[in-house]
Amino acid sequence: MVTKKWILLNNEIMIKKDDEFSLHKDKEAVRSYFLDYVNKNTVFFYTLKEKIDYLIEQEYYVDFYQWYTFEQMEEVYDLVYEKKFRFQSFMSAFKFFQSYALRDDSGEKFLERYEDRVVAVSLFLARGDVAQAKSYAEMLINQEYQPATPTFLNSGKKRSGELVSCFLDEIGDNLNGIGYAIDSAMKLSSIGGGVSFNLSKIRARGESIKDVEGRAGGVLPIMKILEDTFSYANQLGQRPGAGAVYLNVFHTDIEEFLDCKKINVDEKVRIKSLSIGVVVPDKFMELAEKDEACYLFHPHTVLKQYGKYLDEMDMDEMYEELVTNPLVKKKKVNARHLMVKIAQTQKESGYPYLFFKGNANRSHALKEIGNVKFSNLCTEIMQISEVSDIEIYGKEDKIRYGISCNLGSLNIATVMDNKRIKEAVKTAMRSLTVVSDMTNIAMVPSVQKANKELHSVGLGAMNLHGFLAKNFIMYESKEALDFCNVFFMMVNFYSIQSSMEIAKEKNETFVGFEASEYANGNYFASYVAQDIVPLNDKIAVLFEGMTIPSAADWTALSNEVKENGLYHAYRLAIAPNQSTSYIMNATASVMPVVDVIEVREYGDSTTYYPMPYLDNDNYFFYKSAYDMDQKNVLRLISVIQKHVDQGISTILHTNTKDSTRDIAKYYIYAHKMGLKSLYYTRTRKASIDECVSCSV
Amino acid sequence: MSHYKAVNWNTPENDYAGMFWEQNLRQFWIDTEYIPSKDIDSWKSLSPELQEAYKKALGGLTLLDTIQSHTGMPKLLDHIDGLQNKAVLSFMCMMEAIHAKSYSTIFTTVNNTAEINELFEWVENNKLLQVKAATIDKYYRNLDAAKVSNEVLFMGLAASVLLESFLFYSGFFMPLWLAGQGQMVASADIIKKIVADESIHGVFVGLLAQDVYKKLPNPEKSKAELVDLLMELYENELKYTDELYTEVGLTADVKEYVRYNANKAMMNLGFEELFEIKSVNSIVLNGLNGETTQHDFFSKKSTNYEKSTEVLYLRDEDFQMDTDPVF
Repeated sequence: MVTKKWILLNNEIMIKKDDEFSLHKDKEAVRSYFLDYVNKNTVFFYTLKEKIDYLIEQEYYVDFYQWYTFEQMEEVYDLVYEKKFRFQSFMSAFKFFQSYALRDDSGEKFLERYEDRVVAVSLFLARGDVAQAKSYAEMLINQEYQPATPTFLNSGKKRSGELVSCFLDEIGDNLNGIGYAIDSAMKLSSIGGGVSFNLSKIRARGESIKDVEGRAGGVLPIMKILEDTFSYANQLGQRPGAGAVYLNVFHTDIEEFLDCKKINVDEKVRIKSLSIGVVVPDKFMELAEKDEACYLFHPHTVLKQYGKYLDEMDMDEMYEELVTNPLVKKKKVNARHLMVKIAQTQKESGYPYLFFKGNANRSHALKEIGNVKFSNLCTEIMQISEVSDIEIYGKEDKIRYGISCNLGSLNIATVMDNKRIKEAVKTAMRSLTVVSDMTNIAMVPSVQKANKELHSVGLGAMNLHGFLAKNFIMYESKEALDFCNVFFMMVNFYSIQSSMEIAKEKNETFVGFEASEYANGNYFASYVAQDIVPLNDKIAVLFEGMTIPSAADWTALSNEVKENGLYHAYRLAIAPNQSTSYIMNATASVMPVVDVIEVREYGDSTTYYPMPYLDNDNYFFYKSAYDMDQKNVLRLISVIQKHVDQGISTILHTNTKDSTRDIAKYYIYAHKMGLKSLYYTRTRKASIDECVSCSV
Repeated sequence: MSHYKAVNWNTPENDYAGMFWEQNLRQFWIDTEYIPSKDIDSWKSLSPELQEAYKKALGGLTLLDTIQSHTGMPKLLDHIDGLQNKAVLSFMCMMEAIHAKSYSTIFTTVNNTAEINELFEWVENNKLLQVKAATIDKYYRNLDAAKVSNEVLFMGLAASVLLESFLFYSGFFMPLWLAGQGQMVASADIIKKIVADESIHGVFVGLLAQDVYKKLPNPEKSKAELVDLLMELYENELKYTDELYTEVGLTADVKEYVRYNANKAMMNLGFEELFEIKSVNSIVLNGLNGETTQHDFFSKKSTNYEKSTEVLYLRDEDFQMDTDPVF
């Protein structure tokens, strides 16, 4: 094994000359990667026909001839190859070939280039509609939209996993329910999904089983089993299984739950790879603010008293009642201390996620149908869920809503440059809809039911910081807030319009539409009341050439929705999108960048990634998230959140010197600003040079 | 009768003991937090030559950390002034024991017992490795006496810095080089934690050595002795590098890297660099950088998180903020 030249070149970016990084080395790395590696390892075909036939005959591709003639396919290939696509950074090329390009069965030779993947995805999703295939292909090769990994990776392949990536479900408080969850975890994980469970209904450690006190093991043992289940059921060994669990902050196991990430804790209760999240109702924030005594409850005693799960109660309404009922077992804690404990756990491990239940439900469009109770592995999915009743063999289960969601992201910079917000949103919604319609997870009926009835998708966005920097706008500025307000309003508008059009075409709405806030018009109230337009001239210029929907347009849309319904119960969700943003040469999600050159550790590589569009003129605009006041970031997210029906993965970037109190203040701020969740907290370490230089 | 003193953290002994104590605590970790089993497939994909080199590199490192925790740190601790300094050294001593064990956490995950036993036999019988150990140990053993001269103490401290900042790196090269290219990445997380520790150990002991050096009546003589020792170890290190790395074709890169770290050791001791460095392999150099990296929580564990040593509680005013809606 010799040192790989392209990796060396990529590493050499970090060599500083005259105080500037050697950015040109990245282009050399891309060149070397192609010349010395990719081209040498790509199977060569004389003609397109030969290639397509080979891939189909050898069972790499599905039989595209069932939908298209060769000439039709050729048109799509031509359209894509004419664009002369080139990777803009080593990271983009490397990530694509490493993780997405189709390889032969030996795993050694590439059978696809980027263009081929784009065509395969387009042909597959268009199901024989050539015009549709072309519009997908154009959007993808322009890099205006990027489907989530499972869709981009698996579409068109004969032997492949599912196209959907994200599943959630409740766990019932009995062995059948727990068994169902573990079984689902294994199956969903094996097809490549990230799975999240709500543990809040599980009885706490020391509660009764069959009325014998002190027998229940609490949530930790279940977490341990789930963790092992995920690590066992990986996707053909291609990537490790991933899962998350959420627990309500009022559950008495909460402290133990937070401690599972501690460094030196007994192996039986230590959780290494499972992600954890805390469900935080408004009541908890209120108790902390007023500094009043906070009681945690034994959920099983609550269920026995009220016939209702603690997790499903409106705590604003029920808290006092639970506190005064002597038959509900409880434990007194200090809410502020518990909040600081969460902050401390985040400082040490990045976890837990926070899900602000009140905020998520206040604006929930299906609030008359049910509540959003928890979130997913990346804290952007927020949909109704209800626990299923799983029976013994021979008796029929009562299956209720799990959650299934497929995701994709717009590339803000390219859709803005091409002035194609409307077209890109609509085409993206189409492609997400196809994926939802094609998906049928029969092995987990609660997930299947949700997908079949609700058709949920999650359209997000990436490259916000890249776009702003490219246009010399600071991420923390007023202009950025102004831009996001208009941009995401438009995304919301066109996604609703698209969903309405699809409902009209199919003559089908999601189940429960009539009871939704869309049907009664409440959802549109703020849009109908007032025009949303750019307030700043500089931002107005960016939108020139596109029509910005007015209040009147919203009124018209509201009426059309009332008449035709919506096909999707949920439409928008902004995912953290990491790998996919690299391929797009974009900054991830709507988050600020962490560095001008990102050092990226993956399970399988370390790569240096200069931020998109970075040069000596705009260097200043790539301010690191770690150097920003996090309140500015949270404020920006709060603006975007108003236009997004589900959630936004929001990462806090802190420094070693930030105290637990500083971090807890961000929670308070995020909650007050209406954010629905907080994802990881990342910490920038103080290096030893820094500490030695300031004190010795 | 002698008076026994209790360590008093209320009064700083010097500018740096408290800070190093804090930094050590923040960096605290144990091997079993990490998941080297993720590397089993990667391990199987390595050529037998690379596997051999990797094992031996880690075997050699285990020996050095063993000496450091069983002899080096305890001996130094005995002769260092200042109870806070001693406390810091004893914490470091414990970490060295954790380091010595954590290499085994990697082997035991990827190797079977017979291979592991064979490796430890190799460590015991390898002449160059034994010379390395014996050379350092000699300076530690000079500290056996109840009272020693500052010259002897300085050389003990200097030997420790050479071990921490210089001798380890021929071994670290291998895991860092592989990890930079996507192999044995989960195990490299452990190695990176060790590298981060060794770097503060080198700096701290280096500072102690500089304090002693200032008290020497004839410092030039001790410095000459140090340079002789370094050169002796360097010659041995070159041969050791040949033995480990020739078959995998990395000898030239590793030697340059060894020189680079020899310079670092000298700098930690407050002296100028000895060798001229042309170009160090960027992959390995970047791998050493302890700064915060980005990672995907689902595919690997981060090495970025640290113990939070300070817990501050919330006050009423923390809940009063300007939260007017933006639009």
